[in-house]
Amino acid sequence: MNERKSHGFFGIAFLLPYIKPYRKKILIMVSLGIVSSLIDSLYPLFNRYILDHNIALKTLDTLPFLIIIYIALLSFQVWDNYYTTYICSRLELWMDRDLRNKSFCHLQTLSFTYFNKHSVGYIHARIMSDTGKIGELVSWRFMDIIWNLSYIVCIVIVMLFVNVKLALVIIVLIPVSVIIILLFQKKLLPLNKAVREINSKISGHLNEGITGIHTIKSLVAEDRMNCDFKAETLNMKRASVKTAHHSALFTATMTFMSYAALSLILWQGGQLTLDNIILIGTLSVFMSYALDILEPIQNLIKSVSILISIQANIERLRELLNTESDVKDSKEVRERYGDAFLPRKENWEELKGDIEFKDVSFIYPDGDEYVLKDFNLKVPFGTNVAIVGETGAGKSTLVNLVCRFYEPTKGQLLIDGRDARERSQGWLHANLGYVLQTPHLFTGTVRENLIYGKPDASDEEIFTALKAVSADELVKGLRDGLDTDVGEGGNVFSTGERQLISFARAILCDPRILILDEATSSVDSVTEERIQRAIKTLIKNRTSFVIAHRLSTITDADVILAVRDGRIVEQGNHRELMAKRGYYFDLYTSQCVKYRDE
Amino acid sequence: MELIILLKRKHQTHNNKYKTRLSLLFYFLKGSKRYFLLSLIFAGCVSVLDLIFPKIIAFTVDRIITDTDSSASYTGGFFNYIVERAGGYEYIRANMYLVALFVLLMAFLAVTFRYLFQFFNSLGAESLIKRIRDLLYDHILKLPMSWHSSNHTGDIIQRATSDVETVKNFLSDQLTNFIRVIVLIVLSIAFMASINLPLTLVAVILMPVIILYSLIFHGKIASSFLKVDEMEGRVSSIVQENLTGVRVVRAFGRESYEQDRFVSMNERYVNTWIHLMRLLSKFWATGDLISGLQILFILVAGSILCVNGNISAGNLIAFISYNSLLTWPIRMLARVVADMGKAGVSIDRIQYILNSEPEDFEDPLKEQDSFKELSDPKAIRELFKKDIEFKNVSFSYKEGAMALSDISFRLKGGQTLGILGSTGSGKSTLINLLDRMYDPDKGSILIGGTDIRSLDRRGLRENIGLVLQEPFLFSGTIRENLIIACREPSEEKVKKAVKTAALEETIRDFTRGYETYVGERGITLSGGQKQRLAIARMLLTECPVMIFDDSLSAVDSETDLRIRNALKESDLKATRIIISHRISTIMNSDLILVLDKGRLIESGSHEELLSLKGKYKRFYDLQNFGLE
Repeated sequence: MNERKSHGFFGIAFLLPYIKPYRKKILIMVSLGIVSSLIDSLYPLFNRYILDHNIALKTLDTLPFLIIIYIALLSFQVWDNYYTTYICSRLELWMDRDLRNKSFCHLQTLSFTYFNKHSVGYIHARIMSDTGKIGELVSWRFMDIIWNLSYIVCIVIVMLFVNVKLALVIIVLIPVSVIIILLFQKKLLPLNKAVREINSKISGHLNEGITGIHTIKSLVAEDRMNCDFKAETLNMKRASVKTAHHSALFTATMTFMSYAALSLILWQGGQLTLDNIILIGTLSVFMSYALDILEPIQNLIKSVSILISIQANIERLRELLNTESDVKDSKEVRERYGDAFLPRKENWEELKGDIEFKDVSFIYPDGDEYVLKDFNLKVPFGTNVAIVGETGAGKSTLVNLVCRFYEPTKGQLLIDGRDARERSQGWLHANLGYVLQTPHLFTGTVRENLIYGKPDASDEEIFTALKAVSADELVKGLRDGLDTDVGEGGNVFSTGERQLISFARAILCDPRILILDEATSSVDSVTEERIQRAIKTLIKNRTSFVIAHRLSTITDADVILAVRDGRIVEQGNHRELMAKRGYYFDLYTSQCVKYRDE
Repeated sequence: MELIILLKRKHQTHNNKYKTRLSLLFYFLKGSKRYFLLSLIFAGCVSVLDLIFPKIIAFTVDRIITDTDSSASYTGGFFNYIVERAGGYEYIRANMYLVALFVLLMAFLAVTFRYLFQFFNSLGAESLIKRIRDLLYDHILKLPMSWHSSNHTGDIIQRATSDVETVKNFLSDQLTNFIRVIVLIVLSIAFMASINLPLTLVAVILMPVIILYSLIFHGKIASSFLKVDEMEGRVSSIVQENLTGVRVVRAFGRESYEQDRFVSMNERYVNTWIHLMRLLSKFWATGDLISGLQILFILVAGSILCVNGNISAGNLIAFISYNSLLTWPIRMLARVVADMGKAGVSIDRIQYILNSEPEDFEDPLKEQDSFKELSDPKAIRELFKKDIEFKNVSFSYKEGAMALSDISFRLKGGQTLGILGSTGSGKSTLINLLDRMYDPDKGSILIGGTDIRSLDRRGLRENIGLVLQEPFLFSGTIRENLIIACREPSEEKVKKAVKTAALEETIRDFTRGYETYVGERGITLSGGQKQRLAIARMLLTECPVMIFDDSLSAVDSETDLRIRNALKESDLKATRIIISHRISTIMNSDLILVLDKGRLIESGSHEELLSLKGKYKRFYDLQNFGLE
C-alpha cells in the first residue's frame, strides 16, 4: 500500500513522459476551455442589460450593438468549443495510441515468467482497455475539471461584481451541496461496483450456458443452470433497484438544493428589488445563476471520483510497463548484436549447433524448488535428444533453457563453446526452430504463416519445405493453394494438419537447432504416420530436442532423458534404458500393446 | 411423409409467436408494464411542475415586486387565490419569505415526483431486463444442438448481453425520456403560447431545423461508428494473437515484425477515430450555434415586444426560462430517434433467438401411445440396460455431405463397444444420434426394441452418460462440478467415482481439495485432469449406458489403463461405448467398429479384425511400429 502512494499525485507523475509531447496542445486546450466557461458565465448579463436598460427605459437604442456583441461572442465561443473538443479528442486518441504502442512493444521484450503469471485476457485488457481509460482521463476528465472549476469561479466573480449580498447567499450553498454530494457518492460508489460485479457474473453464466451446451444437455443439467441463473438475475434486480433508489434520492436532493437557492434569491432579491436597491435585471441574473451553479459542482465531483477510480487502471498499466524481463542481454551484447527491434545482423557469427549444459541448476522464478541441480550434458551438433515423462513432469524445462526463455539460476549454457549470454537472444532465435505442442497459426493465408520466420522465402523454397514434411499435397488440395485463408487460429485445418504446417514453417528457416514439442492431442493414425515421417526428416542435420509423448517414435534418439516430478531420473539411449528395467522401461511397456499382452 | 407435414405445420405455428417487434416488446413488458405506467404518470407531474416554476417567478416579478398589472394569464387566477389566502399582496411584499416558502413547497413536490418517476422507471427497467434475460437463457438451453453449432458462440453471447442491454436502455431510458421530452415540449410550447403567441413562433421556428439536421447527421455517422468498431476489433485481435502465439513470435525472433504490424494498425484505428471525432465536433459546434442564435432571436424579439408593451418583464423572464427548458430536449430528441434504429436492430436479433424452435418442440412420436407408457423413470432405466441397435441409420449435417450412411449394428446390454476411425469418420456423429442431440435422417435407433425418438430427450439423456473429448467444466469448486448432474450423492459415492476416474491423488494434491475452484476464477486444470474430472462426474450419474467420446486422449497410457480396469471392476454393469484413436484403449471391447468417411467398414472383435488384415490391422501396426 505504501508503495502505491510513492508515485506521485494521482499517478500523474507516471504519465508525465507520455503527456509531455502534447504539452502545447494541452496549454491551448486549457486556455480555450477557460475562455469558453467565462463566456458562458456572461450570457445572463445580456438578459440583465435588456431588462434594466431597454425594457425599464422603454428604448431600443442599444439593441443593434447588443446583437453584434452577442453574435461576436457566440461565434467566438462556437469556434472555441469546436476547437477544444477537437483537440481534446485528438489528445485522447494520441495518448491511447502511444500507451498502446508502448505497452505492446514492451510486451515483446518480457520473458515467459510474465506470460505464465498473467492470463491472455488479463494482459489483453491492460493493452486495450486500461490505455483507453487513461487517455480519457488526461483529455476529457481533465478538461471537465478545468471547465467546471473555471465556470464556478467565473460565476462567483460575476455575482460578486453585480451584488455582494445576493452573491453570498448563493456562495453559502456551495459547501453545503459539496458535503451532500460527497455523502451520496460514498454510498453510491460501492453500490455501483456491486452492480458491475453481478453483471459480470451474469455474463459468465451466459457464457457457460452457451459454450457448455453440449455438456449441459448430456448431463440434463438445464433446470439447475436455469435456477442458478435466475438467482443471479434476481440479485441483479435487487442491487440495481437499490442503487436506483439512492441515485434518484441524490438527484432529488440536488434539484431541491437548486430550488432552495432560487427561493432564497426570490426572498432576499425580491426584498432588495422592492426596496429599489437592485433592478429586476439583476434579480433575473441571480435567479439563473442560482439554478445553474449546482450542475458544474456535481460534474466536478463526478470527474474527480472518476479520476480516483482510474488510479487502479494506471496502477495496473504501470505494473506492466515496469516489469522487466528476467532474460536480458547485457549492454555490451546489445551494442554488438542489437536488440529484438534493431538487430545488427552484420555482427552475427554463424551458429554451429553444439550445446552444452555445464553445472546448470535451475529454479523457476515463481517456484522454490530446484528442478535441475548441477546438470551436465554435452549435445554436439546433430545430436537428437528426446525428453520423455508423464504429463506435467517438467519435460519443457530443458527446452526453455535452450531457447533462453529462462536463464539458468547457476551454471552455464554453452552454445558453440561460449556462454549463451555472450550473444543476443535474437541471434539464437534466428537459428532456432520451435514446433509447439499446440500448433499456433496466425490469422492470414497459408503463405503468410509459412514465411513467418523467413519473410523473403520463394514459392519454390516453400514447396520444398512442404514436401519435406509431406504436406505439399495438403496445400495443393486447397482451393486457393498457398493463398488460402487459414481462418481464426487456423481452424480450416485439423490439429494434425496444423502440426504439419508448423513443421514446414520451422523447416523453411533451416534452423541449426530444432525444438519439437510433440502433440498430445489425438490425431488419427494416418496423419500420425505422416507426422512421424516428417519428424524423421526434420531432425536430420540439426541439433534437436524432442519432447515426446509416444515413446515408439523416439527409440532411435541419441540421448533419451526420462523426467519424473521435475527431475531427470534416467539418461541414455533406448537399448541402455530398456536394459536398466527402470522408469523408462515402465513407461515404455505401459504404452506398447505387445508388451502388455504378455 | 406425414411426419414432415406435421413438423412443417408446427414449425409455422411456432414462428408466429413473436411475429413483430411490437408483439415481442409487449411480451417482454409483461410484469413491468405497471411500473412503467406509474413512472410515466409521475414524469408528467414532474414536467408540469417544472413548467409552473417560471410562472411563479413571472407572477412574483410582475405582481408582487413591480406591481405592473399586465394581461392576466389563465393561471393568474390560481396564484391570485393563493395570494388572497396568504393575506393579500401588501402582506406578502412585507414578508417576502412567504414566496420563498411557497417555492420550496412546490420544489418539494417536484422532487418527490422526480424521485418517484426515477424509482418506478428503474423498477420497471430491472424487472424487464430480468424477464428478458431469464427468457433468453431458458430458451437458449432448450435450443437443439443443430442450432448451437450453426450459430457462433460469440454472436449468441453478444445477442444475449449487449443487445439485451440496448433494448433495456431503449425501454427504460430512451422511451420514457422520449415520452417525457415530448410532453415537456408540447407543454412548454402551450405555456409559451399562452404568454405570447408571436414570440412562441420565433422560438419554434428553428426547432424543425435542429431536429432535421441532427437526424441527417446521425444517419450519416452510423457507418463511421461501424468502421471504428471494425478497426478496434482488428487491433484487438492482433494483440490477442500475439499473446496466444507468444512462443512462436519469440522462437522465430519476429518481435519487430509484430511491432510494425501493431503500430500501423493502431495508427489506422486512431485516424479513423479522429476522422469521426472531427465530424462529431462539427456537429456539436453547429448545435451550439443554432441554439445560441435561437436565444438571441428571443432576446431581441422579446425586448422589442416588451418595449412596445406587448409582454411584461416577468413574463419575458418566464418565456426565456421556458425556452432554455426546450433547448436540450430538442437536441436530445434526434439522438433518441437515431438510437431507436439501433434498438430495433437489437430487438430483431433477440427475436431471432426466441423464434428458433426448442428441441423438444419437434418430437413427432410424442403423441404415440408408447411414449406415455414409459413415463415411469424406473421403467426407462430398465429399458436402457437392454440392447442398443442401429438399423440402417443415415445422417447428414449439411445437405449433400453424408456424415453417416447406412450404419447397422447391435450391441448387447452390458457389453463394451469400441469405435475406431480417423477424424471426420463419423464417430462423434454416431454418439450425437444416440444421445438425441440430432435425429437420424433415415433408419432408426432402438433401445430394448423401442425407437429412441419415442422417448423424452431428458429421460433419455439421464440414462446415457457422456464424456466429451474436451469436457466442459463449470466455474465453481471441484465438488460442485462433480455433483452437478445428480442430487446430493453420498460422500461415499463421490469418493468412489473419483477413485475410479483416477482423480483421487490429484484432488489430494490441491491444498483446498474438493473445494478447489476450477474454471474462470480458479486454477486451470490440465487436459487430462479435466477429462478425469468429467469421467468422475459422469460416473456419479450411474447411467446404464456410458459413452467415452475420445475422453482419455489427454491422459497418459498408464492412467488410461488404470481407469479402464477400474471401470471394468466397478459394480456398475453399464453398457460402455468407447471412442478412441488408441488401439490399446479399445482392443478389449466385445465389439469393435471401424468407421471411414461415415461408413462402417469393419466390425468384430479384436482378433477377428486382426485376421481381416484390413484397416484395423494397419492401424494396429502403425501404432506399434518401432518395436523389435
